[in-house]
Amino acid sequence: MSNAKQSSVNRLKSNDAGRHLISDYWDRIFTANERNAQVVWYNGAALNPIFQAAGLEWAHGEAFAARLSAQRLEKSAQLAAQEFGYVGELCSYARTHLGAALLAKQAREKFDKGIVDNADRDDLAARLPMPNFIVNCYAGCSTGQQWDDFTHRLLGKDIPIFNVSLPFLWGNRADAGYLKGKEWEEASDYVADQLYKLIDFIEVQTGRPFDWEALREGMTHIKQAAEIRREAMAMCANMPAPATFWDWIASVAHINFLPAGPELVDYFSKIHEEVAQRIASGESAIKDEKYRLYFDGIMNWNKLGTLAKLFAERKVAVVAGRYTHKPFWQEPQLIDTDDPIRGMAQHYLLCPTNHGFQTIKDFTKNDCEFYGLDGIVFHSTRTCRAFTGPQQMLARAMKKEMGIPSIFFEGDVADESFYKGELLESRLEAMLEAIDVRRSRNFIASN
Amino acid sequence: MSKSSVEAFQVMKNVAQHPDDYLTQWKNRHQQPVIGIFPMNFPVEIIAATGALPVIIQDSREPISEGNTILAEFYCGFTRSIADQTMKGQLDIFDAFMNADHCIQLLGAVDVVREMLSDKPVYFEHLIAAMDDSWTKDQVQTKIHAFIAEAERVTGTTISDEALTRCIESNNKNRQLLRQVFEARRNGDAQFSPGELQTMIVSSMIMDKDEHTALLETVLAEASTKPRDNRVRLHLSGHFCHAPRVELFDLLEECGAVIVDDDLYTGSRYISTDVKESLAPRAALADWYFARNENIPCPTRVQKTVNWDEYLINALENSGAEGVIVLMAKFCEAHMFYYPELRKALEANNIPHLLIETEHEGMPEETFRTRVEAMIERIRRKSSSRTTAKELAQ
Ligand code: SF4
Ligand code: SF4
Repeated sequence: MSNAKQSSVNRLKSNDAGRHLISDYWDRIFTANERNAQVVWYNGAALNPIFQAAGLEWAHGEAFAARLSAQRLEKSAQLAAQEFGYVGELCSYARTHLGAALLAKQAREKFDKGIVDNADRDDLAARLPMPNFIVNCYAGCSTGQQWDDFTHRLLGKDIPIFNVSLPFLWGNRADAGYLKGKEWEEASDYVADQLYKLIDFIEVQTGRPFDWEALREGMTHIKQAAEIRREAMAMCANMPAPATFWDWIASVAHINFLPAGPELVDYFSKIHEEVAQRIASGESAIKDEKYRLYFDGIMNWNKLGTLAKLFAERKVAVVAGRYTHKPFWQEPQLIDTDDPIRGMAQHYLLCPTNHGFQTIKDFTKNDCEFYGLDGIVFHSTRTCRAFTGPQQMLARAMKKEMGIPSIFFEGDVADESFYKGELLESRLEAMLEAIDVRRSRNFIASN
Repeated sequence: MSKSSVEAFQVMKNVAQHPDDYLTQWKNRHQQPVIGIFPMNFPVEIIAATGALPVIIQDSREPISEGNTILAEFYCGFTRSIADQTMKGQLDIFDAFMNADHCIQLLGAVDVVREMLSDKPVYFEHLIAAMDDSWTKDQVQTKIHAFIAEAERVTGTTISDEALTRCIESNNKNRQLLRQVFEARRNGDAQFSPGELQTMIVSSMIMDKDEHTALLETVLAEASTKPRDNRVRLHLSGHFCHAPRVELFDLLEECGAVIVDDDLYTGSRYISTDVKESLAPRAALADWYFARNENIPCPTRVQKTVNWDEYLINALENSGAEGVIVLMAKFCEAHMFYYPELRKALEANNIPHLLIETEHEGMPEETFRTRVEAMIERIRRKSSSRTTAKELAQ
């Protein structure tokens, strides 16, 4: 191996180089009211290309909650939500964002009364600009829709709200499956139709015609970026893995809600290049890779560094995961850049919480096979019932059908009080030992 | 109460407590399928119109063991109980399952049913939850047609408009009778305890409606009004998909309260709305879905013009309830979202209230008792002519 001095975690440098794209985006959001820009709050699906083409600023609720947690600045928002009466078992993304909405509303009221200056809002959680309207488009999880409804209610019920309803891909018929069957086609049409209505709504809100050319252009960049990203991810089937799940986590913001433009394509091209170079030079994402695992569960934003280190120190490359590999423009071939709405609608339906168990099982199996994985770590995400729903069945099926072992640990998206680190460590070590035993048995059997 | 009335009530009680015995007998008698329905918005008339029996699946009182190995422990008790019953073979009596509701925890449980009982049809069409949109009505109508087609497929029986109309009428009649009982309670009649009302509702969820109506008629024919005493009047709010434990009702009464109204699913919510007989039956079933949410707002739906807090304040005015016990099934997110709004409205109207979180197993009785007593004492201090729990016991 070329890199004798590498620490246990060897992050992609191109990710670090693209960090400024995220901070630039948030800077724009935080100054939106001062610039008299129109702001939309939204949750769930990546509607941002539509907002961008409409000349809006878009603030994604989950993304803001995730950002606060990753920076360990979530507490004030969570406290505000608690004081308002939200129970601690409520989805911590929703809880944090609703708390942030309360703080931002208070700050705005004080500002309007001349009590404080906008610059006084040093609490990041209070810095969201008030929205001109809200759009909800949440796949799978019913919590997502309730959450935006309550944002609308607690901001005073007079801010317009538009709901895009995404049907759950339940799979009632024998022909149903991932990207196929009558259900899929009908749902695609139904959502596409709603997106056209959303655009009509946006035209009313902005008072100007929608810029279809801008949408086509944006989606061209997104399609390119997505293709490059998928290719780079697929290269991680290489052993040792040139990048890990944590590298893909670091680029979720980019693919999920940053502006669509040449910078996005450039950013993912650089990642692709670095991944390819690492394969060529034999450089690995973690030191002395010995085990390869899958991560199932939504991200624990409080514990990014802790988790990345914890696995790497045990020579575990977490190579892929449901959260990183199954949403976020993952089927770019569906996008027709001349007429992008239907392909966009289809991506919104493809959120990994929007499928029945059978489909989730199928794609997890495929990923485990493709990436040559030894086991699965389930993040039993305490307040996200959408991700956790099929996990126990998935663990059983993967053991039974593929012999793939798994462990569970409890944590949460944005509430670190649920994290059980010691349990994770001891279970992980036990699983790695079991993998060792299985390997030596296989080795003996093959000789 | 006469012997026939006591016996009729006992039949309802037995069905509510042991649905399986009734379902086995019903199947033997009718040689028709029994279809499991998940709460809270499925129009059961569709299934009844095929000759099959629609049964709203109940939470089991049995401790959850295997259910906790297939769903996370932080799923609501109802969903874990469904998973538990599935794993233990207790849902095998059903020939198929249908669901119209989109609560993510419920979907998780229904997916367990589908996976573990893989030889049975488990059908889900999502009755769209955003009620205000211009396309919602059409979409709901489409889903009603899809349910009808699936019911026909599963039972092999074509559903005629006449059959639908007949089932709508029989369900309406059942709801109307039950509403009479609830209305009487609201107006001061204390002849039925909250536990007895729950028995009536749960048995209605399980039984053939005509049979249930006949039992109700027998019970009500002899019922005589019993004026309620002047204990503190409470409204019970919340607790969706499954029935709260009757022990909790007893505890409230022991503390010196009398329940005068509720918006529980196994209560007023279930019977709130008739299907309009003046409309064509298929259109009427779609209309029912919207009308229900306007009558008692459902926290799993979103509708700008409908506010549960306003509904609650109105309901309190109608019943004269002096306080509210909010019963929240632990981990029920739809309820968690709504609670602060309810709390604010109650506080703004100076109405004492108490949040009680319930779990499937284990009720911290003494903790609840202390909190309930404190609340009741607070209400009592406002009005000195109250009967105390001690006086009642004498
Ligand atoms: S519970 Fe999970 S999927 Fe649902 S809104 Fe919260 S984070 Fe999103
Ligand atoms: S609505 Fe509440 S009680 Fe019903 S299944 Fe969902 S979480 Fe459970």
